[in-house]
Amino acid sequence: MARIAITGTASFLGSRLLRRLVAARGADAVLAVDITPPPTTLQGVSHRMVDLTLPGADRRLVDVFREEAVDTVVHAAFFTTPRRDSAYAHELESIGTLHLAAGAAAAGVRHLLLRSFTAVYGARGQNPSFLTEERKPDADSRLAWVRDKVEAEAHAFSFSRRYPGLGVSVLRFAALLGPGVHTFYTRLLGRRVVTVPLGYDPLVQLLHPDDALDAIMLALEKGPSGVINVVPRATITLLTALHLSDKLVMPVPHPAAYPLADLWWASGVGEAPGGFLDYARFACVADGAKASAELGFAARHSSREALESYLAYRFPEAA
Amino acid sequence: MSAQAKVVPIAGRRRSKRPEEPAGEAALSRRVKELEAQLSDVQRSKPGESLLVALARALSAGAGGMTWTNLARLQRAFYFAWHSEQTDEFGADARFAEALEPFLEFLYAMWWRVEATGTEHVPASGPGLVVANHSGVLPYDGLMLQLAIRHEHPARRLCRMLALDMFALLPVLAPLLSKSGSLRASPENAERLLRQGELLGVFPEGVKGVGKRFRERYKLARFGRGGFVRVALRTGAPIIPCAIVGAEEIHPVIGKADWLGRPFGLPYFPLTPTFPWLGPLGIVPLPTKWSIDFGEPVDLSEYGPEGAEDPILVNRISESVRASLQRMVDGRLARRRSVWFG
Repeated sequence: MARIAITGTASFLGSRLLRRLVAARGADAVLAVDITPPPTTLQGVSHRMVDLTLPGADRRLVDVFREEAVDTVVHAAFFTTPRRDSAYAHELESIGTLHLAAGAAAAGVRHLLLRSFTAVYGARGQNPSFLTEERKPDADSRLAWVRDKVEAEAHAFSFSRRYPGLGVSVLRFAALLGPGVHTFYTRLLGRRVVTVPLGYDPLVQLLHPDDALDAIMLALEKGPSGVINVVPRATITLLTALHLSDKLVMPVPHPAAYPLADLWWASGVGEAPGGFLDYARFACVADGAKASAELGFAARHSSREALESYLAYRFPEAA
Repeated sequence: MSAQAKVVPIAGRRRSKRPEEPAGEAALSRRVKELEAQLSDVQRSKPGESLLVALARALSAGAGGMTWTNLARLQRAFYFAWHSEQTDEFGADARFAEALEPFLEFLYAMWWRVEATGTEHVPASGPGLVVANHSGVLPYDGLMLQLAIRHEHPARRLCRMLALDMFALLPVLAPLLSKSGSLRASPENAERLLRQGELLGVFPEGVKGVGKRFRERYKLARFGRGGFVRVALRTGAPIIPCAIVGAEEIHPVIGKADWLGRPFGLPYFPLTPTFPWLGPLGIVPLPTKWSIDFGEPVDLSEYGPEGAEDPILVNRISESVRASLQRMVDGRLARRRSVWFG
């Protein structure tokens, strides 16, 4: 029987997807590939421990995929929150995807689905109001976080070109926000005072995790479909979102904010390096037309609903 | 919270009416919808109320009440007093435009005494591309053009302006423009909007026009690379030339100190008789007399979308639009007797 392997089952999206696939297709249909085993409450799910960062991981993956008769791989082992040891993040995301794509191609896997981010387009003042899938991702970003994701996508596509049997889907998700999400930007929402660049109020997209899972399920049914943006129904401006969460907003002139944020990050206090301030200055809004045309995907939640569901989960006493 | 509190009496009234109108379930639901619309109108017409309430609460609590939560609430009330909670898909904010309107109207009617002619050439519905000459250092001409169509055209259409990159990068100005219905000038944006049947305003001179020196005033700069013609050809939208006279003199650029602007990401740094010598006073524009003239629409549908792939044709159309716009500007200038009184 053909099975679906999921990498990064300890990640937020990976673990939710594992649960949903077990509920939909049964424990036999899935295989968890991670360095930590799946939760014991998910009984009967087979687990293979593979460290994607180790040399030779691709050979081990070929064995695993062949033995377990895997025909579809969902690659969800990506960091949403930037890590201070960027070398490890690079090994896992860029090189790990290289290993995974090599193993999948050699084992005759049919479909490799990558979890990616709309943030790979980069936030720039020059962006059009809607970024379509044809737009080149920002390979020269100053953020290693973005560069690793762009490299991972490129590795997957280069293997797909050389081994036509391996089809690739890359789902670029907008920033996830909803019950259970825990990232660097939700940590900012946990503070009383949030600093923002002075004089900017860009549109942002906040995607409810349920919508993200729906999109993955649809993409698994449809098969390889290239790059697809997965976005919520409506956008929200950054300051609207912060004020709806009752934060005190402290504006800082952006020429000072970048070095300060970098300093804060380097000293171990900040949540993210200064490059992320771009996303608080300029819009990075992706167009979801391809997802609805090709996957039949329609987000059930707007950005505001995603934010409200998160606030109700995180601050139940305020509601 | 207040929405719920206000809905209750209406529901009560509705229930008491029910015996008198047994047949009209549909009529009733229509009536409820009407009342709800009225209610939301009432709520919208008092945007400042919650701000006043928040202020009063903060003041009555005194110094002891200045907690983080109260400050955040005050800031939130202040923000939503002039921003709506939901913008449209391109970021235009109806309440923000409403809040900004008195100021812009003052500039339009009192400061520059704008005289708009030929608004009948602007289509009442469907796509249209308004092509205007750019001047005035800051994008006042775009805001005034928007207001001219909003006020003097019977359909009261929103003309979305395509703004220069540099304005989309500058703090304060960037959100101001995008919330009042401007977008970054890019072919993707223009094509998407025209396909949706929107009215669009462009300044093909771009940065070469807005920052030109005083001695080059009213001499139209090169028209980019004809991107606006390609978009009009592809979408079949008519081009409406629009001559703006008066904006060149609001900030006469007598010199440039571009090296000063570079660290701030500005492509140029203008020196005017008042800026930067008078400090903040220097950004007050001079009260010239403006005219905004819309010309005959240019219909490009005979060339079809494939015309966009023909660079010679695109250049020719672009040049002819530029020439007719220059003629319109020259004609208005010849009739103008005074910079200040028209």
